[in-house]
Amino acid sequence: MRVAMIGWEYPPFKAGGLATHCYGLTRSLADKGVKIDFYMPKTKHATGSDKTNLNIIEVGEAEIFPYDRPDSKELAGQFYDAVYRYNDLVVSRVKGKYDAIHCHDWLTMKAGITLKEKTNAPLVVTVHSTEYDRSGWIYPNQWFIDIEREGMEKADRIISVSHFTKRVIVEKYGINPDKISVVHNAVYPIPEGHKKDIVLFLGRLTIQKGAEFFLRAAYKVKDYEPDARFVVAGIGDMLPRLITQALDLGISDKVIFTGRLTEEEVKHIYGISSVYVMPSVSEPFGITALEAISAGTPTIASKTAGFSEAFNNCLRVDFWDTDEMANKIISLIRYKPLHQTLSKEGKREIELFTWDRVADKTIDVYNGVI
Amino acid sequence: MPSICFYFEVHQPMRLNKFSVFNIGNKNSKSSYFDRQLNKDIFIKVAKKCYLPTNNLLLDLINKYDGKFRISFSLTGTFIEYCEQFIPEVIDSFKALFKTGAVDMIEETYYHSLSSLYDNMDEFEEQVKMHSKMIKRLFNYKPRVFRNTEAIYDNRIAKKVTEMGYKGTITEGTEKILQWRSANYLYKPINTNLKVLLRNYTLSDDVGFRFSARQWPGHPLTADKYANWMAKSEGDLINLFMDYETFGEHHWTDTGIFEFLKHFPGEALKHDHLDFVTVREAIERYEPVGEIDVPWAISWADADRDVSTWLGNDMQIACFNELKNIGKKIKDTGDQDLLNTWRRLQTSDHLYYVSTKGMEDGDVHKYFSPYDGPYDGFINYMNILQDFKHKLY
Repeated sequence: MRVAMIGWEYPPFKAGGLATHCYGLTRSLADKGVKIDFYMPKTKHATGSDKTNLNIIEVGEAEIFPYDRPDSKELAGQFYDAVYRYNDLVVSRVKGKYDAIHCHDWLTMKAGITLKEKTNAPLVVTVHSTEYDRSGWIYPNQWFIDIEREGMEKADRIISVSHFTKRVIVEKYGINPDKISVVHNAVYPIPEGHKKDIVLFLGRLTIQKGAEFFLRAAYKVKDYEPDARFVVAGIGDMLPRLITQALDLGISDKVIFTGRLTEEEVKHIYGISSVYVMPSVSEPFGITALEAISAGTPTIASKTAGFSEAFNNCLRVDFWDTDEMANKIISLIRYKPLHQTLSKEGKREIELFTWDRVADKTIDVYNGVI
Repeated sequence: MPSICFYFEVHQPMRLNKFSVFNIGNKNSKSSYFDRQLNKDIFIKVAKKCYLPTNNLLLDLINKYDGKFRISFSLTGTFIEYCEQFIPEVIDSFKALFKTGAVDMIEETYYHSLSSLYDNMDEFEEQVKMHSKMIKRLFNYKPRVFRNTEAIYDNRIAKKVTEMGYKGTITEGTEKILQWRSANYLYKPINTNLKVLLRNYTLSDDVGFRFSARQWPGHPLTADKYANWMAKSEGDLINLFMDYETFGEHHWTDTGIFEFLKHFPGEALKHDHLDFVTVREAIERYEPVGEIDVPWAISWADADRDVSTWLGNDMQIACFNELKNIGKKIKDTGDQDLLNTWRRLQTSDHLYYVSTKGMEDGDVHKYFSPYDGPYDGFINYMNILQDFKHKLY
């Protein structure tokens, strides 16, 4: 089986869970004998593959930051142009015969549709997030929505990363639910470190990820657990506002903004944190939660986060309920048996979330359309 | 000729209010730990779906078969308190059942607690005496058979129960203690003189768990089919022990559970060699056929049939110890309100909600739990225990 897969990020270039997913998925598929050509924009970081079945093919010159949200007309024009240019380049580069075209999220959908028409190969689309998620359900951008809808409609099969996202695809994009397979993500486990009194937020600092609620909870925790430190790891357009918020709350001595972390630093911070909080306003899956849990770090996640529909050993809160978030952070710090049990049971349950399983389910989807 | 011995456990716990760490030691926060509204709503719902209609049906059946249909009940103290507060007619209907002479009452701890597992058994004894007093007051009766919370049983408990004057007790008919032997007989503890009734878990769970399970080969379970299974059984005694809420609550009316119950006595009595006995009659009529040695506690709960349902993880053990260890201090204060609260917190359900057992058992736990999982259950319960300690020190 030969598959042309179109992505937009691949480790070491990584802005979100999509890169992690493509990495784990393509490597496990390759191990199972599926031949994959993985097309992606050219990046400054050298990337590649050590597997014979898997080729990483970089296309074009410009880096695209897929989570950018153009906020002026002029920038938007440039951004849209770059996206179209990338899609055209992919189309021109794809040669030869494939059994399936598989693309990931809106940025690659134009190319996927054109290639399907050009080569008559079936199109599989994986939806990692929708415009509704990325906008936090506030003023979503119609341009993205239209591209997403077209890709979903033209796809022969859609893979969504959770039932939560499947519902969005059905309700907001009008897609037939029978066409959508849910395949939950997986994780390469991260080693547990020497735990410190760190409460961690890690993710893009965008409206979607809800870091502001993390800071509000931190404010409520600080008098009860004075030794606790709150780490906000990641970058994004909300960073200046979050720094101001920490100052206004009078907790700037308790909060550390790390900026962008390297892969090694990310693993380290997961390992030494005592609590991970994922207060996303909208979270199709939430691979970071699996990463934290794999490192033995008990996790408090939004009730609607996609991963938690398939995962038992974590704590859940409404993202806006910062009293309850603080209650749970303090409980995790105070009650050792709670921390130990969540850590132990979480690591046990995480063993079920392997890329091998994701690859098997993806192959099932391929077999259904070929 | 095997006798069929039906026994129903009737219990409702006092579920807790939402209690956050910010409420600990805060004098302005809510005065009660118990969620009166939630408990009232659930009790009224279950009374309408189960207690009242099932009691009526059983009364009709006893009358119809002229006392040949016989049953036993164990009513917890917390259950009776709900009856008295919200629907006293429920107690009246139990009294009417008892008056027929075809119904026996079983002793247990008033609070449906795990006090039998404390290192010191004084608290256990006190809670049994409270229950005894309650049964005396309501039914003017002294039970001869004792059943511990969720059939928790070991040699130590057996000895204590004998010392307290009971002639029989009830536990699970698990292979762990029987090996090859049948549960359809009475047994005697290795260390004391007591008659032990063992639950026939296959036949009990056919009704209690599997009645409405469509994928079960026995589905649909009809009264004549079930009676035929009894008729083919060997032994003296078929002990069918289950939660009373099986009727109308665990299995809703539309599953046919009431129709099943309505027809079962008649179908069973068609077989000449079958009859019904209460637990008291069972121990008066039959003699033990062998000994059982139970050094480690067993129970009728979950697939493990041990106490891991309540003490299976570190969180449960921490809560259990926190609560147990303040007992002496509470008794020393002589404060009845504190003592009552302490005992209500001992109800085993609070720890049941904190169980992290997966798979099939986990689904059952989820069904009964008022929390979003065991971790929330732990946080809430532990916060309350911390606040309770604040009141003492």
